[in-house]
Amino acid sequence: MSVNEVRRKKRLYFSGKILLYLFLLFGILVMVMPFIWMFSTSFGSVETAFSLPPRWIPNLSNIRAYQQLLKSIPFFRYMWNSFKIASLITVGQLVTCSTAAYAFARLHFRGRNFLFFLLLSSMMVPIQVTVVPLFILMRRIHLYDTHASLILPVLISAFGVFLLRQFFLTIPRELEDAARIDGASHFTIYSRIILPLSGPALSALAILTFLYFWNELFRPLIFLSSLDNFTIPVGLVMLRGQYDVGSPTRLMAAVALAVIPVLIVFIFAQRYIIEGVTLTGLKE
Amino acid sequence: MYVKVKRSEVGRREALTSYLFILPTMLGFLLFIIGPVIAAIILSFYYWDLFTSPKFVSLGNYKALLHDVHLFIVYKNTLIFVLGVVTLEVGGGLLIALIINRKLHAIFRYVLRTTYFFPMITSVAAVALVWNLLLSTDLGIVNYYLGKIGIPRINWLLSSEEAKVSVILVEVWKNIGFYMVVFLAGLQNIPRQFYEAAEIDGAGGLQRFFYITFPMLSPTVFFLMIIGLINAFQMFDMPYVLTKGGPGDATRTTVMYIYETGFRFFDMGYAATVSISLFVLIIILALLQFRISKGWVFYR
Repeated sequence: MSVNEVRRKKRLYFSGKILLYLFLLFGILVMVMPFIWMFSTSFGSVETAFSLPPRWIPNLSNIRAYQQLLKSIPFFRYMWNSFKIASLITVGQLVTCSTAAYAFARLHFRGRNFLFFLLLSSMMVPIQVTVVPLFILMRRIHLYDTHASLILPVLISAFGVFLLRQFFLTIPRELEDAARIDGASHFTIYSRIILPLSGPALSALAILTFLYFWNELFRPLIFLSSLDNFTIPVGLVMLRGQYDVGSPTRLMAAVALAVIPVLIVFIFAQRYIIEGVTLTGLKE
Repeated sequence: MYVKVKRSEVGRREALTSYLFILPTMLGFLLFIIGPVIAAIILSFYYWDLFTSPKFVSLGNYKALLHDVHLFIVYKNTLIFVLGVVTLEVGGGLLIALIINRKLHAIFRYVLRTTYFFPMITSVAAVALVWNLLLSTDLGIVNYYLGKIGIPRINWLLSSEEAKVSVILVEVWKNIGFYMVVFLAGLQNIPRQFYEAAEIDGAGGLQRFFYITFPMLSPTVFFLMIIGLINAFQMFDMPYVLTKGGPGDATRTTVMYIYETGFRFFDMGYAATVSISLFVLIIILALLQFRISKGWVFYR
């Protein structure tokens, strides 16, 4: 190879690398830009909200939009509602899924495989099929427009049982054998040995469940009707319906308030969130 | 004899414990999944508006299903979304993962992973409201910056074709980080020795991709395709907030149609019927994918 040829190859390699970095940088911009625009718009005034070119630097002293927002809708209440619903569902699922997963992973009983298969096949059922009868049921038992109507039907999760069972199966049995010889009950083994060893799987399930129900729109839209019961996503949609393009600053202030808690949690727990999501994505 | 009795007693106790352990899940399963599914099937033979008493209409709802022009449109939209979203999410996610997996500066990789992933955990309602403003034809910044590089204004949300593209793109924008991190994890699971051996044999980049990376990654690709398919078929939030199903019916999905039929017009029987048709279609397509997967998915 001549010197020139080597140089040419080197140049090609570097220009390729620069192109690659530019491409990825552009991707980063596309991912981040909507959030920055939303943030700076929420600190702007209605007159300048749509000014072009956009103002990227927020004027943090102008909190008019936030004041108007908090006067027009009980946003912190929605936040509390979302938090309450998502946490209760998460705790409930951790309990029901981990006990069922323990039985399916470790205990012997008649019909085990059949029941497990039946449960798994229910993952294929789209919620749109069950939501119509559940809506009728909730009206019948006077739970319509309560948070219970959202929480009760999802206190169990076939996916959660599956995820935890797969994880429990990887825990060496020798650990339990010693306890069993000492006469430990199944409940003791479950609570003292299996659960403490399942931190990663339990936290993955908790994170996924919490995020899913914190962000959920479809069911709250159906099961809730009074303003005070709304969750954040429903509140956001209603706010848009009410003002439409009328007050983009107020709308963006609401979106900012909805996104910021998620962002803060993400910054601190990023590793766990990504690992948790990946763990569930890699089940084979 | 003694041992035998003892063992069966232990077994019975174990079974009893097991049933207690699975009781909450099975109870919920019966009450909130099996029960409603059966109820939905029964409901599909009735006309019921919740206010008058239910009226048995035999196969009436299913006949209506076949002649429903509206339903045809929403299914067509849904299929377009499924095709566009799944292709871009899986293809794009794989592409970005392959790029990031190369030798990049650690900080740069960290920033990439964080920023690409973040939209995934925000609510669709929130980000769709932002994109709704960004994509505004006259006042949106997307058209503004496109104009800067000489691209004429695009009617992102107001013309039927472009609105479909917008829904697909924003949905992909939101989810691509998930596909990326799952692919990244899959890539990191491929033993390094495979590549070293290939290098010794003189395999080039493309050969390495087609003979090592892709076969090793194929179970992940398949898994993500199934997940993507099921999610895209149930798309509701994005078109509901971004375009409200419009313009006209251009971005109305099957699930939006179920929502409107059931909870706006209170036609419970027909809503149940449409939801069952969606269920059946998802199952058929998932099974079809499983069938086809035997030809290209490689399990170690």
